[in-house]
Amino acid sequence: MSAAPDIIAAVPRASGRTLQRGVLGMVLFVLAWEGVARGFQLPAYTLPAVSDILASIYAKRAILFTAAGFTLTEAVVGYVIGALIGVGLAVIITLVPLTRGVLLPAATAINSVPVVAYSPLILLWFGIGMPSKFVMVALAVSFTVFLSTLAGFDRVDRRSVDLLRSFGAGRLAILWRLRLPTALPLMAAGLRVSTVRSIIVAIVTEMLGAYGGLGWVIYQAVLQIDFVQVWGAIFVASAASLAFFGLIGFAERRIIFWK
Amino acid sequence: MSAAPLVHPASGPGVPSSWAEFAAGRLVRFARGLAVLVAVFAAWEALVILFAIRPYYVPRPTAIFAALLQTPAPYIQGFLRTLSETLIGFISGALFGVGMGLLFFRARALRELVFPIFIVSQTIPVIAFGALVVLWFGNTLLAKAAIAFYLTFFPVTVNTLLGLESVDPRQEALLRSFGASPGQLMRRLQFPTALPQIFVALRLASSLALVGAIVGEWFGDTVGLGVLLLQGMYTENVVSIWATLLVSALLGTGFYSAVAFAERVLVFWGAEQ
Amino acid sequence: MTNRRNVLAALAAGVALLGGAMTAAPAADLTKATLRLKWLPQTQFAGFYVAVAKGYYKDEGIDLTINPGGPNLLAENLVATGADTFGLSGGLDSVFAARDKNLPIVCIGISHQMTPFVFVARADGPIKTIQDFKGKTVTTWFTGANHVLNAILTKNGIDPALVTIQPQQVSVTPFVDGQVDVITATRYNEYYTIKTRMGEEKLRTFVAEDSGITFPRDTLIVSETTAKEKPDLVKAFMRASIKGWKDAFNDPKGAVDTVMAIAPTLDRAHQEFQLAEAKKLMVAGKVAEKGLFWIDMDAVKVTQELFLNAKVISKPVDLAATFNTSFLEAIPLADRKP
Repeated sequence: MSAAPDIIAAVPRASGRTLQRGVLGMVLFVLAWEGVARGFQLPAYTLPAVSDILASIYAKRAILFTAAGFTLTEAVVGYVIGALIGVGLAVIITLVPLTRGVLLPAATAINSVPVVAYSPLILLWFGIGMPSKFVMVALAVSFTVFLSTLAGFDRVDRRSVDLLRSFGAGRLAILWRLRLPTALPLMAAGLRVSTVRSIIVAIVTEMLGAYGGLGWVIYQAVLQIDFVQVWGAIFVASAASLAFFGLIGFAERRIIFWK
Repeated sequence: MSAAPLVHPASGPGVPSSWAEFAAGRLVRFARGLAVLVAVFAAWEALVILFAIRPYYVPRPTAIFAALLQTPAPYIQGFLRTLSETLIGFISGALFGVGMGLLFFRARALRELVFPIFIVSQTIPVIAFGALVVLWFGNTLLAKAAIAFYLTFFPVTVNTLLGLESVDPRQEALLRSFGASPGQLMRRLQFPTALPQIFVALRLASSLALVGAIVGEWFGDTVGLGVLLLQGMYTENVVSIWATLLVSALLGTGFYSAVAFAERVLVFWGAEQ
Repeated sequence: MTNRRNVLAALAAGVALLGGAMTAAPAADLTKATLRLKWLPQTQFAGFYVAVAKGYYKDEGIDLTINPGGPNLLAENLVATGADTFGLSGGLDSVFAARDKNLPIVCIGISHQMTPFVFVARADGPIKTIQDFKGKTVTTWFTGANHVLNAILTKNGIDPALVTIQPQQVSVTPFVDGQVDVITATRYNEYYTIKTRMGEEKLRTFVAEDSGITFPRDTLIVSETTAKEKPDLVKAFMRASIKGWKDAFNDPKGAVDTVMAIAPTLDRAHQEFQLAEAKKLMVAGKVAEKGLFWIDMDAVKVTQELFLNAKVISKPVDLAATFNTSFLEAIPLADRKP
């Protein structure tokens, strides 16, 4: 059981028909959107038409791609830091069980405050440049990865541990030989879920203060009353999230081939 | 997850032998937690004084508590307001999530049609919609609850679906051979089997709902923990930010514990930890 | 003990809030309306809060709710869509941008008659005149203040490209710590923070008016529909608002109390300073002869020129349709004078 819902596992096995229906669903959704926006002649500040948004993305592609690069850098760097911290903490707790009583409550306490609530403090501390986004993303990612990794390590069968131990295996050997392989699917689920979060957290933090990035573009566009641009940035953010998600999912399938 | 017991779960093992024992255990744990908390605050206070950390970065806990006691009203009101937004969003999101999970489980075609849209919806930074949410729902509690709902329902949907699908087909066949109707099958086997999974998502959703409520309060409101955070940030009132963080932590922990408690009471048969 | 009583009062208030509808039971003949502010509650908006607290809007038949702004909200947008009736929006910059994007809003009054921003450098630093901005790092908000900065630089014959202009932090710390040479400050907010942290004598300020630039801000707006269909409501709103502001000027302590009741975590000294500064901005220009919230069309035209040059707007807007002083002029001049 994972500490984070496993989206991939819930996606129906990719048969041709599934793919068809998925695409059909998306197409129907986009058509309905376009129809509503055009049919009711909704003003851009209520809901712009998809075609207008796509046209705007194309027209402003230079700005949007630069911004997406900015946000992705923040998200990926923060993500890597967060993932390392998360896995590291889980390893420490498993190797030195004594630390569990301290680290687990400490991590839970820090996590009991919703991540976004830290953003004012982090922005005041680290400024509005990239470092504040690294910290925010790392904060958001590390806990999810930590919990799912720990849940994976703890999932091993007691008898298997006892068996290995009776052969004289130390904690490190048990971690490497037994716990890690068992935990990999759960770790992967945590890592995958964190991808989307990392980009959203980066954007949210950017909106409160930044030198660039998609959140900054959205903020500027709202102030300039350019709602088509807001939606354009949202589309790009969504695409970036899906790409990051897909990339980690692909890496996972390569590494955990036995799954 | 190991195989769920075939018998009705209520008769399964794992129930504490007596409630008194259970309560006593909780009391001890609570006292220990309190002691740790006091120790942490004392160490924090000592460190700040010892290293002469500028209050601009980390204020002394006593200063934070003093601020809380001096003007308790906004924090208490903020706590209650944010709590109600979180609760409404969480409950509606949980119900919708479980409902969608059941629906997707039954109607595969629908699931294949709608699920990709659900996934894409979760990649959208909800804060970008601040203006839209206010346009659609106004400056009401509902606007914040809507954001909390938006963040909550998806994990619950996913885990409900996964939980339902993890049912052992042999058990299903066995119950069916005894003439169980689809409704009985759901009540007796599928839903109880899925419940531990659902609760995992609910625990996650509890913190997401709080995030949604707090972010929602950034879109022009007067009461709420999110409002206090924003105000603290823009007036550089670091003590107030910390005070709000502590209150948020209290709310977050309380809500999470409540969900976890419900889990222990309801899912005593499949609790892992 | 007062503290405990406070807690109890707050709990009671919280319960009442949860109860929701119980707290507000407006009389049937009051018209419901909302005012969307450009920012969070503070004494910059004291007059409106005073007018609510003293029932001036109720006297005019309006049940007014004040909705604060936030980092991702735009009053123009919310007013144009009818989500809010009135707006105290960013300023001429946002009004022009909105009209340029065909948002159906009308400006019915201007609160701050002169530029609310100053540019601040260290008194003992290398920057003595605007000319010294060249090659230095200047931070500013890209939400209006950047246009003022560009205009000042251009007016003084400096190519803005020669100045390192960066988005400004939420915090003034980079300036206090010396990482930034020049920082933008509103006279009523950031300037106070910098002053209290560094001491006023350590600061050198640059004012837009010294370069012949005026950038009126804090505009009152309504939608075209409201302006056309409910002129009496708009007039009544203006009457009550002016009354509230005059009260706030006459009794600043009381006004600060009123605002602090809404946002108790604010710093009182700062809020008192802010109200005094807001007053200076509001009574500047032609207000002494034309009354509060007066729209000085000459200043508006100059600002439009500035926006056209800066390409903030693509074409001149229809000034007659954008600015409407008829609601103000329906109120006797004597009542409008501060």
